[in-house]
Amino acid sequence: MKRQTEKTLAYVIAAALFAIGVVCYAAFPETKPDEPVRIVFKSTAGKVLFDHKQHTGEDGYGIHCIDCHHAWDEDPDVKPVSCTECHEVDSEDPIKRSEALHQQCIGCHEDDGTAPTDCSQCHIL
Amino acid sequence: MLNQKLLIGSHAPFWHDQSGISTKNYHIMLAAIPAVLFGIYQYGISALGVMALSISCAMLWELLMNYLMKRPITILDGNAAVIGLLFGMLIPASSPWWMVLVGTFVAVVIGKIIFGGIGCNPFHPTLVAVAILMLSWQSLFDFDEALANYELGFTMIYPLGAVKAFGTSVLEYYPLTGLLMGQQSGGIGTTFGLGLIIGGIYLILRGFIRWEISISFLAGIFATALLFNAADPERYAGPMFHILTGYTLLAAFFLLTEDSSSPVNVIPMLLYGFMAGILTILIRNIGFFVDGVVFAVLMLNIANPLLDKVRPKALGKGIEYA
Repeated sequence: MKRQTEKTLAYVIAAALFAIGVVCYAAFPETKPDEPVRIVFKSTAGKVLFDHKQHTGEDGYGIHCIDCHHAWDEDPDVKPVSCTECHEVDSEDPIKRSEALHQQCIGCHEDDGTAPTDCSQCHIL
Repeated sequence: MLNQKLLIGSHAPFWHDQSGISTKNYHIMLAAIPAVLFGIYQYGISALGVMALSISCAMLWELLMNYLMKRPITILDGNAAVIGLLFGMLIPASSPWWMVLVGTFVAVVIGKIIFGGIGCNPFHPTLVAVAILMLSWQSLFDFDEALANYELGFTMIYPLGAVKAFGTSVLEYYPLTGLLMGQQSGGIGTTFGLGLIIGGIYLILRGFIRWEISISFLAGIFATALLFNAADPERYAGPMFHILTGYTLLAAFFLLTEDSSSPVNVIPMLLYGFMAGILTILIRNIGFFVDGVVFAVLMLNIANPLLDKVRPKALGKGIEYA
């Protein structure tokens, strides 16, 4: 292949790929699904990867929305708010995020009897 | 006539396979296609966007630097495209556009151009970028977090992270055949083990990479992981798991074998690969990072000139006072 042809080809490939990349990013931005699949809770004790779909799915644990999203009035047109909207990292009223999540997760896991309750079984450093 | 330069010597690499640099780079890209296509098939249009932007940005950064430094245009050799391709393969499909832009800049400009261009870089340019980004924005390389919204029909928890946190009790979720066939989360082009192996074998058979490096790296991984597994089978996963997860296979066939950052003699090549394998497993099992490949390869890149000192004695040279 002649050098000039190679040069032109390289320019064309670079420009075409750049255009494809820009179009993919601009026209198909990353969107979050209405119902989360997995949620990562970050904390100083290590992150917790919460499988939302596994907990709520019919073929999973089948937990109802209201069991965790207790402020939700079960209106199908209104989306339940996430835990952290009310339970902030450092707040007194309502209880702070870590306490709310610990109570919710560990309480339910203890009731279940088979789910993990030790720190290192959920928190990954 | 007497002053005419008959032979101009330069630094390694030297490997005579009757082809040019561009041919080699095009074949490397060809070998990566199965793994890249699989990644695009799995993660969809976002993966296509990352790959296209990564390759093009790497080429455009090099072109820009060529113009700014008033040097000949070098994007024709395909090296910048390979750097961009590998960077795209290593990052998650959900990577933001600015991460690709910054990553390719670091890879091409800081990883390669700053050292004098192709053949002069002491480290693999792509890994320089990945290491800097990994240390600067750790969460971008947390595959659990980056791919939290993807549901692909298999366990989407990053296998190396799961084993590091929970021990080998989680291995039942990661069958080896599934790992080989790409049923694991990770970078766009790093999950399809079979595709990477096919690409690697192609490159070895065509003589574009040295089998000594790839095989000794996998042997180093195998031996070290086997020892750890034998010492504590409940905590440390077996060798095949480590070979089929993380960046291992991509490193074996595409990263460690980069010309200017790898040794040129046979024994150094074997040492280089084997030591990189040992270091990878040490970092994975007892180090801080979940996947040790990036830092293991960079460390061995540093050791490369030292390793190349292991070489045959020059014939006819007196060594009386050596």
